[in-house]
This record gives sequence, structure tokens and C-alpha cells, in this order.
Amino acid sequence: MTDAISISQAQLRFGETAALDGVSLAIPNGSCFGIVGESGSGKTTLMRAVLGLQKLDRGEIRILGKPLLHGRAALKERAGFIQPIFQDPAASLSPRSRIRTLMDEVGTVLREPLAATHERLHVILNRLGLPPGVVDKYPHEISGGQARRVAIARALLMKPSILIADEPTAGLDVSVQGDLLNLLQDIRRSQHITLVIISHNLAIVRLIAENAAVMRAGKVVEAGEVGSLFGSPQDAYTRELLAAWPSVSAAK
Amino acid sequence: MAISLRDLSVDYTLPQGTAHALRGVSLDIRKGQMLGLVGESGSGKSTVAFALMGLLANNARVTSGTATIEGRSFDLTKRNATADLRGRGMAMIFQDPMLSLNPVFTIGTQLCEVLRRRAPGSDRKTRVAMAQDALAKVKLSNPQRRMNQYPHELSGGMRQRVVIAMALLSEPALLIADEPTTALDVTVEAQIMREIIGLRDRIGCAVLLITHSLGLVTEYCDAISVLYAGEKLESGTVKEVQRQPGHPYTRMLFDCEVPIDCERHADASENRFTVIAGELPDPRQRPPGCIFNGRCDVSFEDCAVIDPGDYPIGNHAGHSARCLRLQTP
Amino acid sequence: MSGLVATLKGICSEREGRLGLAFTCLILVFALAGPLVSPDPNVIDVKARFAAPGLAHLLGTDNLGRDLLARTSAGTRYALTLAVMIVVISSVIGSLIGIVAGIAGGWVDRAVTAVFDIVNAFPPLILAFALIALYGKGSATFVLLVTVVFIPQFGRMARARAQTLRNLSFIEAERMLAVHPVTIVVRHYLPNVAGPIIVLASMNLPVVIAFEASLSFLGFGVQPPKSSLGTLIKDGFISINQSWWPTVASALVLAIATLGATLLGEALRRVIDPKTAGVR
Repeated sequence: MTDAISISQAQLRFGETAALDGVSLAIPNGSCFGIVGESGSGKTTLMRAVLGLQKLDRGEIRILGKPLLHGRAALKERAGFIQPIFQDPAASLSPRSRIRTLMDEVGTVLREPLAATHERLHVILNRLGLPPGVVDKYPHEISGGQARRVAIARALLMKPSILIADEPTAGLDVSVQGDLLNLLQDIRRSQHITLVIISHNLAIVRLIAENAAVMRAGKVVEAGEVGSLFGSPQDAYTRELLAAWPSVSAAK
Repeated sequence: MAISLRDLSVDYTLPQGTAHALRGVSLDIRKGQMLGLVGESGSGKSTVAFALMGLLANNARVTSGTATIEGRSFDLTKRNATADLRGRGMAMIFQDPMLSLNPVFTIGTQLCEVLRRRAPGSDRKTRVAMAQDALAKVKLSNPQRRMNQYPHELSGGMRQRVVIAMALLSEPALLIADEPTTALDVTVEAQIMREIIGLRDRIGCAVLLITHSLGLVTEYCDAISVLYAGEKLESGTVKEVQRQPGHPYTRMLFDCEVPIDCERHADASENRFTVIAGELPDPRQRPPGCIFNGRCDVSFEDCAVIDPGDYPIGNHAGHSARCLRLQTP
Repeated sequence: MSGLVATLKGICSEREGRLGLAFTCLILVFALAGPLVSPDPNVIDVKARFAAPGLAHLLGTDNLGRDLLARTSAGTRYALTLAVMIVVISSVIGSLIGIVAGIAGGWVDRAVTAVFDIVNAFPPLILAFALIALYGKGSATFVLLVTVVFIPQFGRMARARAQTLRNLSFIEAERMLAVHPVTIVVRHYLPNVAGPIIVLASMNLPVVIAFEASLSFLGFGVQPPKSSLGTLIKDGFISINQSWWPTVASALVLAIATLGATLLGEALRRVIDPKTAGVR
């Protein structure tokens, strides 16, 4: 079986600093994969490279076996496979367009009759627990939680097989972050989507992902199945990260 | 009691009406103790800090509240009530250290400035030595060089250390840390928290740690107060509150935390995250009864009508919560 | 529609905004209503030269006995037409060039910025004289000149906005969905660039009015017998010993027009772009 995403020897420099320093990763199809690391570890740069938003200096990225190319034709083809969920999904909705317009755009890209798009959208909105009337609103007229769901609905409308979520819980209160994570898990299971979660939150990754990689300074320091990765970390940095994590259960 | 805050209420005047950000919040912090004030966004936790420091926005008004700091009483409804405590009796660490640092002066100049106000009459040489010493105490590498550097030349964690050094030099009775590590990485967070603890132990001040992270509170604090929609729902020692949360909100909040050592189930459907359903009540119109009523999982009829008082829990002094279920008939 | 009402409300929320709106409306009414209430501005009546304001000529007459109210109104109309035309043309062209440069980056961006710099390096008056020497006097030359001078201003602002927008999630989300680039520019860049551009445009209106007046005052603008605020002030100034009315009247109109448009622009900026308005 081909991997959903395979990265080999990815290298990228921004001036003096190496943002990616020989990263190789294989993300199996249909799995949930976590990438953890602190700021400056290169995890977001890696995601941007996988999405084609950032060109690599050296190395290769393959998505579902096909090498990642730049250019409009390649982008168009890729858009149907892989979609991002941005750090602040609410900010990924164009502020001066109605949500209906944004959804219709997806239909236009897919060269699908609008009626078909609307039908699929109706199903998706229903599954995400959004009222159908939400499409007539502007992004600033809906709540933050709804905007997050709308952004996810839009990504799903593209029928992707891979979703990449960058810090999906950043800035969220603990009482609502679970809602989003449960939703992502449900989507992943019901649509057989490969889910990549990039996060600094180790506890969440440990619970949601099957495999994970720990990044530091543009390198993958350790990767593997989450149970062994977090249960018996081999690398000193992974151990340091785990030890520093302020956890409720750590209290005596 | 080194610090006590009584019945603090703050209103914000907004174009859509008056929002009650805080309603009758009282806190007590003992000398040498760290109190964690936990709350989610919209709970008003930062407003507590700003009201104490007298740094509230122009559209905010303190409608009631007194603070007692080291035996002196301050009426917070007066503008600039605590002005002469700023920089001496009280110090504050913000989430963004650049708020406390002036970008056009060197670290050394700013630290010496603190000392000049703190100990007038001291000569420059002693001040520089003391400032350098403070930087060394907060474990900033190469303090001598840092003295001549500007804030922008340092990393976020290093800047936060400088701010802690400033607090150290001003020897406050109360240190307020408002989300001091939210912008930092976990490994740096742990270091900064250790420095704050070190500072507390060194000068024996009271620390008010304002945070959204229960993890930080349980790991580093002695006592905890839980704030929800402008009201304090529970307070007590961290140990007691964690062992036996008196308020359903506190319990649900603890349930939402994902422990780092939580093992993953092979069956993905078993890996559920806990959620508190519902939304914050409108801050302009407080619903009658308990403020948490709409989202509570154990509420009963009276909860929608009776505003609960602060009931003690068990026989542990200082542990109390505002939940009708704790009322002893 | 509700946006327009909200904007008007915002403008009227401060005294300066109300004043600006009132002045601007006054000038508009004055310019548009002139032909309805007063005689032909070019009819010469030598017997009535230098007439004081009266029933026959509300603002009196000039050295050739032409009705000054009609001439000032015509001059104002001319100035407003030119100003609106220039600002609209230059803001549209400038925004498009700026957005393209901001999105494309690289050598396109460098080339566009270099051209902007070259244009801006010329003092407008010197550039005006050069263009007049090349193409002769007249409104067409003036429109060309001011449009060329203003395009870099709008272009720069649009470019800066586009550069910020380019890295925002919602633009990246559009790109990741493979939405057509033209759609992205028209639907997602333009509306988000428009706010500050409209503000800049409104603040440039008085600049054009004053610039046109100064060129006409120097004799390089509109040619007789047509009237403009600049020529009116100049003609009045020449014969100020016989009659001080023409100068004062036309200068007053110029002052009200520029002041009104400036205040309105400021108020608009406060409403549309509260962030930049705070940093003054």
C-alpha cells in the first residue's frame, strides 16, 4: 500500500537557519499521524511544504505516491486529495464573502453542477451540526465555534483523502477543544481520511494519533507508534518534553 | 493574610450595553504562597489583575472592591487607588514581556531604573551590580553581556526572565503573573515557572498566577480559585480541590484536561475528549440562579432560581464552592 | 445598504465629520444647482462690469460683467468633475497594479516599485510643466498628469495590503482549494483592499482640487472663457483694487471645498480603518 504522504530528505534553509534539515517521514494511508515539536522545530514549515505552499531546497515529497509539483495544474489535482485545516480556521474564511459564495467556489473548482454541490454541502453541514441557514451569513456573523466547523465543512466539500490540521486547538479553551478533536476523529473514521495533526500539545497527540514524530530544529528526533514513543521515549529531547509537560495527574 | 481582595466587581461599558466582567470576586493569598486563578476566556481573570494594578481600560469601572495589601487597605473604586504600590508593593508579569520592557532602552538601564525608584540614594555602581546579580539569579546566561543588550535581541523566554528579574529587584509584596508562559514552549515554560517560584521563595511575596491551564496550577500552585463568567465558583488548596472538586464546573474542567500519561485505546472510538457543552451566559444580563446552570450536568430546579452562596466543603479551612448541592439544610 | 447607513452614522458621530459632510454637501449643491438658478457664465455684459452683489447678480460680476455666481459654480463643477475622474481612474489602475505586484513579488514587484519611485521623484509642478510643454495646456493634460502622479500612491497602498493578505489563512485557503487566481484577486483581494483605498481616494480629492486651482492660477490649467476656481482667483486678484468680491468669493469656495473634503476623508478613515486612524 502506498503511503499517504512520504517525505524523503527534505531540506530548506531560511537564510542562516535550517528550517528543515533532512526530514524523512512516511505517513501511512488512513492513519492519524501526529507531528509534535516546539516553536522553530520546523513542523509548520514541513506542513506548508507538503501543501505546496513552500518550495523545498532539496528532497522529495510524494502524496499518494505522486511527486509534489508546483504549478497550477498540479495544484488543481492535489487540491482534491489534500486539504489543510488552518491554525485559526475561522480566519481561513474570506471576511467579505458570504459562506454560500465560499462553498460555491469549491463546486466551481470541481466543475460540478451547483445543485450537486449544495446537496453534498447539506449533508456535510448536517453531520457537523451546523444549521443550513449558516450559508447565508458572513463569517463575522457566526460564532467562533461555528466558523471552525464551516471551515472544516469547506475542506470536506473538496472530498480530500488527507487532512492536515495545524495546531487545531491553539487558542481554544479546554472545555471546547475536545469538541473539535472529537469531530476530527469522527470525520476521519467515517470518511477514511488520513489525518495529520501538527501540535505542540503532546497529550492530545498521544490520545488522537496512532503514530507520531517529534521534531526539533528541523530534524525528526524520534518517530514511531505513540504508545512506545511516549511510554518509553528513546531520545533525550522527547523525555525532556514529556517531563516539562504540566499535567493535572502530575500533582501529588 | 498578606493579600486579600474583597467583593471586586467590574463593569465594562460597551456600545451594546454594560457588561459585568466581574461580580463580587474575593481572593486571599498568603505570604509566600502562589494562588492559581483559573478561568477560561471570558471568565474575567485578567480583569482581576488589571483592577488590582489600576490598569483597567478607559471603558471599565470598578463598582465595588477593596484590596488589603500588607495591612494597608485600598478602595479599588477610586481611580489610581493602588498607584503608589505599582513597582514597589506590586509587580506584574504579562503574557507578552515586551509590554513590560521599553524597546529603546537596554536591559541594564531598565533594571537600574527599577532600583533607582526602589532605593533612592544608592550609587550607580551598586545598582549595576545588583541588576547583574538579579539577572544571574533568574539564570539568564551571560548577565554581563545582557545588561547592554536591547529587549529585541533576546528570545521570548529570555525576555520573560528579565521581567522576572525586574520583579525580583522591586521586591513586591504581591506578584501578579498573567499567563506568563502562554506564549512560550513547554520546556521554557517549566523553566520560567521555576524562576517565578524561586523569586517567591527568595523574597517571600504572594503570587497570583492567572492562567487557563489547570496543569500549571496543579503542578506549581498552593491554592486555586476557579473563575467562571465573572464569578468565583470555587477556591481552596490545590490538593483539596483536585481531590474533591466542590463545584461541578471545577470537576468538568478537570475532566477536560488530557493527562500526558493517558494511554491510547486501540479502538479509536474509545479515545473521546471531554467537552463542556453550552456557551457562556451573556455578560450583560446575568440569568437568575446559579451562573453555571445552563451547562451543569447535575443541576436541579432550584439552580435556576436561587443564587447559591459560598458553602464550605468538608472540614478543610478555606475550601468552599458556590453550588446549591453543598448547602446543608 | 446597511453598511452605507453605518458609515454615515460613523461620520456624523464626531463634530469634524458632521462639518465635513455639511461642507461637502454645500459644495455639491452649489456646483450642481448653479446652472439652474443663475445665467450663462460666459455672457459678457460690459455695462455691468464689477457690479456689487445684488439681486441681478447674487455674487456680483467680474471685469467683463460676467455673472460671478454662475462662473464660480461652473468652476467648482469643473474642479469636482476633474477631481472625481482623476481619483477614480488612478485608484482603480493603482490598486490593480499594486495588487498584482504584491501577489507576484520577485522581479515584477521590484519593477513596479521602481517605476513608482521614479514617478514620485519628480515634484508634481515640474512634471506638470514638462507635460504641458509636451502636450500643451488643457484638461486632458491635467487629467493625465495628476492620474500619473497619484497611481503610485494608490499602488503602494494596495501593494502593501496585498502583501499582508497574501500570507493570511483565508487567501492560502483559497489557493489550496485551487480557486482560479482571477477569482481570488477579484473576490478576495479587492474587497479587502478597498477600504483604505477609498479613504486615500477621499483624502486625495481636496489635493486634486487645490492642485488644479494652483495650475489654473498660474495660467497652465483651464483656458478662457471657461472658468475654474484658480482662474477666478487670479482674475479677481488682478482687479482687486476695483472689486475685492471675486477673489474672496472664489477663494472661499475653494477653501470650503478642500476643507470639507479633507474633514470628510478623515472621518471616513476613522470609520473604515479604525486601526490606522488611531496612529496619528
